[in-house]
Order: sequence, then structure tokens, then C-alpha cells
Amino acid sequence: MITRVTNQIMTDLLNNSMSTVDSQYNNLIEEMSSGKQVNSPSDNPIGFGQILNYRSGLAQISNYQNNISGNNSWLSSTESALSQVNDILTSIQTTAISQGSATATASTRQDAAASLQQQIEQIMSLANSKFENRYLFSGTNTDTAPFSATARSTTTIDATATPASGNTYRSTVNTSGTYTGTVNNTYVIKIVQGGALGTATYEVSSDGGKTWGKTTPTIPANGSTPIGDGITLTFPAGNFAANDVFTVKAYAAGYYNGNGEELSNEVNNGVTNNYSITGEEAFTNQGNGTVDIFTVLNDLQTALQNNDVTGITNQLDSLTNAGDQITRYTAQCGTRENNLTAASSVLTDMNTQLTTDDSNIEDADVAKLETNIQKQQLTLEAIYKTASDVEGMSILNFLK
Amino acid sequence: MGNISSVLNIARDAIVANATALNVTGSNIANVNTPGYSMLVPEFGSSATGANNASQEEIGVQITSTERMNNKYLDAQEIQQEPNGAYSQAQLNLLNDVQSVFNESSGVGINDLLSQFWSAWSQVSTNPTDLTERDNLVSVSQSLASTFNQRAKELIQIQSGANSQISDTVTQLNGYLAQMADLNNQITEAESSGNVASSLEDQRYTLLQNISKIVQVNYNEDANGALNVYISNGRSLVDGSTVYKLGVQDNPNNSNYYDVVFQDTPTVAINANLQGGTLAGLLDVRDTEVAGYLNNLDNLAATIVNSVNTQHSSGYDLNGNVGGKFFSPAGVDSLVAAGGNTYAGTVTAGGAYTGTANKTYEVQIMSGGALGTATYEVSSDGGQTWGSTQTMPASGNITLGNGITLNFTAGTFNIGDVFNVNATYAASDMQVAPGVVADVTKIAASATVNQDGDNAGSIAAIQNDSSLMGGGMTIDNYYESLESKIGQDVSNAQNNNDQQTAILNQIENQRQSVSGVSLDEEMMNLIKYETAYNAAGRITEIANTMMGTLINLGIDTAITT
Repeated sequence: MITRVTNQIMTDLLNNSMSTVDSQYNNLIEEMSSGKQVNSPSDNPIGFGQILNYRSGLAQISNYQNNISGNNSWLSSTESALSQVNDILTSIQTTAISQGSATATASTRQDAAASLQQQIEQIMSLANSKFENRYLFSGTNTDTAPFSATARSTTTIDATATPASGNTYRSTVNTSGTYTGTVNNTYVIKIVQGGALGTATYEVSSDGGKTWGKTTPTIPANGSTPIGDGITLTFPAGNFAANDVFTVKAYAAGYYNGNGEELSNEVNNGVTNNYSITGEEAFTNQGNGTVDIFTVLNDLQTALQNNDVTGITNQLDSLTNAGDQITRYTAQCGTRENNLTAASSVLTDMNTQLTTDDSNIEDADVAKLETNIQKQQLTLEAIYKTASDVEGMSILNFLK
Repeated sequence: MGNISSVLNIARDAIVANATALNVTGSNIANVNTPGYSMLVPEFGSSATGANNASQEEIGVQITSTERMNNKYLDAQEIQQEPNGAYSQAQLNLLNDVQSVFNESSGVGINDLLSQFWSAWSQVSTNPTDLTERDNLVSVSQSLASTFNQRAKELIQIQSGANSQISDTVTQLNGYLAQMADLNNQITEAESSGNVASSLEDQRYTLLQNISKIVQVNYNEDANGALNVYISNGRSLVDGSTVYKLGVQDNPNNSNYYDVVFQDTPTVAINANLQGGTLAGLLDVRDTEVAGYLNNLDNLAATIVNSVNTQHSSGYDLNGNVGGKFFSPAGVDSLVAAGGNTYAGTVTAGGAYTGTANKTYEVQIMSGGALGTATYEVSSDGGQTWGSTQTMPASGNITLGNGITLNFTAGTFNIGDVFNVNATYAASDMQVAPGVVADVTKIAASATVNQDGDNAGSIAAIQNDSSLMGGGMTIDNYYESLESKIGQDVSNAQNNNDQQTAILNQIENQRQSVSGVSLDEEMMNLIKYETAYNAAGRITEIANTMMGTLINLGIDTAITT
């Protein structure tokens, strides 16, 4: 309690309360004009961290939603290609049934063979369709057309290993041997320790370079290096550096050039969505597939051309199976799209939740603000009034 | 028995005393707004100053003294509180600077760029053969890196700003100390000759206030009236008329920032002895808060760089190469050979530091000799724990771990030779590898040589890895908590400052209540003294008339008769 009031005390008091109220008023105005009650970290330190957290969460959700919508487009392209294939297969089946009957003649079968050729080409073109410049059905070999018009009659290995562009080792590496695998596969040989033949060591991956064999053998002095599944590489003399990479693709017999790996991405934290259907499972009898559709169709065409009734009727079951296989993966697309819809609705809920949480911390309550501003204005006016009163208050006024 | 001349004497005393009192009132009114001014109060005392010896009927007046109104207890309280206010003010100013650099309330900043960064990886993962997505990833990564650089540089700028303020403040303090010694001189001189030096004392108090805003001091007034000033470790700043000036000295162990020292002992840093006040505020913010933020930022950058690089190098680029570094790795920082080493050869540190935290490696020679003979041990925690003893190879190349190598040229070691290597990853050095910027196909987006995009997906998933920063925090969380910490520090400094301001205002009001000038009071005094003065004048006039009557007694009669 101050018992003796001096002029200094009075002005100090007024100045202090004026500057306090002024700065409070200023804060309210800032909140009002930004619509936010947190305008800098110190306004609500913990809340500010949370706001940033919500923002990261929202950005992540929008990224997942992007993935989902991209996957959906991919899947609907896949679905449409597959259902067109299915339509053509149904029509081929009808033809096969009618041409397998006694009413058909050699000439109708010739005609049917010719139109079947076109249908095969249509299916081939559908199986090689692209989405955003990537092949839908080639597994993760998205830059390679998945199907060729002619079949490999036996397993095949790339004639030479493909070196990575940054390799130190520069000679051409020939391959030899007979591939014993049943599906298309990518082998990767990576140099672990550099050096010449007889010194350099390597490891082998049979899944495209993801996982590695347990041993790191030395490249023999003669350069002849078996890498498994019947494949041998022959390295001419030369110097290797660590991380030199050589890729060899080995193919099973048949029309398919892709691989059995599905494309995937994340559609929520830790939730991976496989969004591609491989040509392997939809069109071949390798891996998950059971019927090699192009073989069936080409066999049917040969039977039609040769007027071979038994040959034609023999393919009828296979044609049904082919149709089933395509239908199965068409349905698979639908299932995946449904999963994506579910994932998307989870994200939408999270989005709503985060937006609400964020708003609770960050957004100003305008009605409350308005009231506070008015209150503060009143206080300020009171202080101004007091100041002007105090200003005029002096004993001098009463002295002549 | 009174006489007229003694009435005149009394009236004269009254006129003089009241005129003096009016002078004092005038001084008070004139200094109503002078900071540090203490109100003066004239003390009237009665006296017997008549021509004859004093008698009960003849009592005059005199100003016995002019009292300087002050309260030593309140003065002491104010001097004690000033440093707290100045400390929090200095902190608040600098922390506000930090906050304005880190304020991401508008949505622009590292938090947002991190989101963009992860999302760009995710897009590359979905479409790994598309060069546009790769270009976008590189440009987002460059923005992220350059924002890290910029933030770190701004923090360093705030530190060096504080640093030069420290030097300026020391200079200012030295000025005050010199003035203080000067005033001590004048006051002791004045007091020894019996004068009252009240305005000098007011000045000295203001000076003491200014000094205590810079550094917390203890003080006492000695018998001669000199004020002696000490800092908390008991060392004198001012002892009578002697000044012990402070200075600043570069500290090579603290980025060459200044240590505060006494000019007479420039090797002894007294940073820790400076409590409260602007100096301690500046030192603390520079070396604790801002240094802490910088360290957090460095850690964060190091973790991003290392975790992304590690994952990147397990994938394949568009041309089937094993992934290289996506971000340029950090270089190894400074190497310091201890001063007393016998070894006279050259040591060079090399390699790329792959650790995440900033560390100091130490190599200590365990038995002397040449390369190939001497043995050594390595510590990766600045010399607290040591690895096994190894022989220095003839090549002179040794590995310290985390990618750091040292090369010693030929020379003879002695037991106890010590070499320190500071390995730091600085946020200010974060950079996307130039090879990747020049050729975006070098981004190792796929987990296999085929274009599966899974490696980019794995890098995008680092966003959700809660094992990276300790405490179950993801990279994003760590940054969020850094922002919270800055906000909390500013908010604390703000609260402290508000509180200190309130305390100081309170004390200042109490001091004012004792020492301050009230115009109302002075006006009343003015009237009081003026009236008394007039009344004394009136007495003179009456005495004069009486005297005239007396002198003209005869003449008057003669005329009338």
C-alpha cells in the first residue's frame, strides 16, 4: 500500500496499465484479423506442436488419398482391359462351340480362324495396354511390353548380362546354360569387393536385387561363374569395383516377358496396397496363373485352320478356364477397389478428426473474441478518461 | 527585555530561512521528472540569534539541514531486483528473434517442407519411371536442405548478434564503473570537507542501477562515503576510486565466441560468476537456449540425411546402379592436437562422418614410439570411455569409427599425446548430393533392378519411423517438439519478464512514495513558505515603522507643538 502518491507514481501507474491493456488489445486484434488464437509458438507452446503435428497428419492423409486415387485409376483401367478380354473370350467360346459342332465346315472354320487371329491380336493389345505410360500387366517390369506375339518354346536367358551404367568393369558378360526355373525372374550379381578375376567377390540375388544369397564367393580366375538355376556368367578379364551390378533376366517358355511382382504403395501408415494385376497371374499358367491363354487361343486357331474337330473341342474346357481366370482377376480388381474405398473412408474420417482437433486449438472463437475486444475497449476508454482527469487534477487549479 | 533591533534580526532569519526553503521547493519542482532524484526537505530549527543573548522571547529560525529523502532498504531491494528484470528482458528479446525465425503459424517452413519431402518420395514410389516426379523430389529436397541451412544460419546469426552485444555491454559497463569511481572520489572529497553531496549521491544511485541492470552486484558504502561494488564471486568491480574493468576474450572451444574476463586476468572466464543482468541473459541465450536449438536442428538434419542415405543405398537407380548418397554426407570437422604433444608430424582427419549426434573423438597415445610401434586408444565420447589398445600402423592410417579416418605422417609419439576430432553434422551444411541434382535418374527409387518403386516407398515410410529420434519420436515429432520448446522458452521468458516488471514497478512506486516529488505537496509548501516569508516581511515593516516612530519622537512633538 502506497501512502504518499507523487506525480511520478501516478503517471507511471497510468503508463503501465495503458501499455498492458494496449498489448492485450493488440493481441485480440491480431487473433481477430488472423482468425487464429495461436499466432506464434509462444501463444500456446504445446498446442503449437500439436498444430504442426495435425498439419503433417493432414498432409500425409492427402498423400495417401492421392495414392488411393492413382491406384483406383490404375485398377479401373485394369478392370476395363480385363473385362474386354473376357467379352472377347466369350465370343471366342461361342465360335469354338459352333465350329466344333457337326454343322460347321472346313471353310467356316477357315473363316473363324481368320477372325480368331484378329481377336487374338485384340487380346494381345489389351494385355499390352498402358496406364500413364506404364504397362498394366508386366509386373514391376513396367517399361517392358508384357506379351510378345510369338512364344518362346523353351526357357531363355538374356544372351549377355546387362551392366549398370556406373559399373567400373566394362567387358561384355556372356551367359550360358539352361534356365531351370518355371517363372520369369531377374537375377542380380553385385560385386562386394573389387579386384581382378580370382580376387573380386560377389553376391547373387534371385529376386531382382532385394535379398541376397548368404555367401560371397570369389569370381574364379577363368571368369566362369554359375549363379544358380542353371545360369552361368562368363566374365572376361577385367577389374571390378565394389557395387558393380550385372542384371540377367531369365524367362520361362511362353509369351510373357514381365514378372510376377505386383506394384504396391502405402495407403495408410503401414498399410500397403497391391494395386496391379500381373500378366503372369491373369494370362499365363506360371506362378499364380493356371491357364496360358495365348497358348489356348493359338492352339484353337491351329485346330480351326486344320479343320481338326477334336482339336477344337479339346480347347473348350481350357477356354472356360481362361474365361474364369480373367473373371477371377476382374473380380479381384473390384475387391481391391472396395478395399481402397474403405481405406479412403478411414482417411476421410481421420481427416475430419484432425481438422476438428486442429481447429479447436488453432482457430479463434470469434464470438468470444468480439466480446473480449469490446470489454478491452471499455477498459482502454476508462484508462484514457482517468488519464485526462488526472492530468487536470492539480492543486494549482485552486490556487490563484 | 526585548528591543526593536532584535525583532528585525528575527524577521531577517525568518526571511532567509523561508527563502532557502522556497529554493529547496523550487529544486524539487524543477526535478519532478528527473530519474533518480530524491526529494529534498528543509528542516527548520529554532535558534536564538538576537543581538543580546538569547532569551525566551526572542527565538529566531534557521534551516538546520536539508534532508535527502531516501530509504536504503528500498534502494537495496531495487538494486537486487534490477538484474532479474534486465536478465529476462535480454532473454526475451533474443528468444523473440528466434521465435520469429521459427514461427510457422502461416504454414510455411520446415514442418511443411518435411511433409512435402515425404510425399514427393511417395509419388516417386508410385511412378518411379516418371522423371517429372523425380525432378519434383529433387527440388523439394533442395528447399528442405536450404531451409535447414537458413534456419541454422539465422540461429548462428542470433548467437553472434548476442556475442557482439556482450562485448558492447562490457564496454558500457566499464564506462559506468569508471564514472562510479569518479563519483566516489567527488563524494568522499565533499564529505570530508563537511559538504552534503546529495545530487552526486542521486547520480551515483542511478549509476548503480545501470550497473546492476548489466550484472548483479553486491555493494557497500565505506566510512569515507565511497561505494564499493562486487560481483557474486566477491571480486571487486569498483573499490573506492579504483576500477577493475571487464573485457572479452575469444573462446576457441565455443566457436570463438566471447568469454567475459577481468582485464587484469584475461585467461579466467567469469561467465559463470555473472548472475542476473543483461550480460548473463545474453550469455545464457547464446550458449544454452540457442545453442540447444542449433544442436536439435543439427541432430534432425543428421538423422534425415543418414536414414534417407542408408535406405537410398539399398535400392537401385533408373539405370540399375546401386543407390549412392541422396544427401551429401557431412565432412569431418576440426581436428585439434593437444598443445603439449611430443608428436611433431602432421595429422589429417578425413572420411565422411556417418554418426547422427555430434561427438568428440579422442585418440590417446598409450606407449610412445614411431609409426608401427606406438600404441593408442580411441574414445568416442570425448575421453570418458576408451576402446582397446591398438598399435599405430606403419601406414599411419587409423579408423575412429563412424567413417572417420586419421592419417599421421612419420614422427615419434610420446605417452599421453592426445588428438581430438570434433565430428559434427551441421544443419547449415545439409545439401542434396550434386550427382543426384545433376541427374535425377540417380535417385534409387526401386528395391530391385526392375522399376518397382518400393525403395522410394521405404524412404517415404521413414516419416512414420518412431525409432529414429529417441523417446518414440518420429522425425516430424522431433521438429514439432523443437517448435514447442521454442514457444515454451519464449513464453517462460515473457512470464518472467512480466513478473519482474511488476516487481520492479512495485518497488519503484514504493521508492517514489518516499523519494519522489509531489507537485501538490510542493505547491502547499510554496504557499506555506511564501506566507511565512510575507509575514516576516510584515514584521520587518512593522519594526521599521516602530523604529521610525521612535526616531521621530522628538521631531514629531516639535512639529505638533
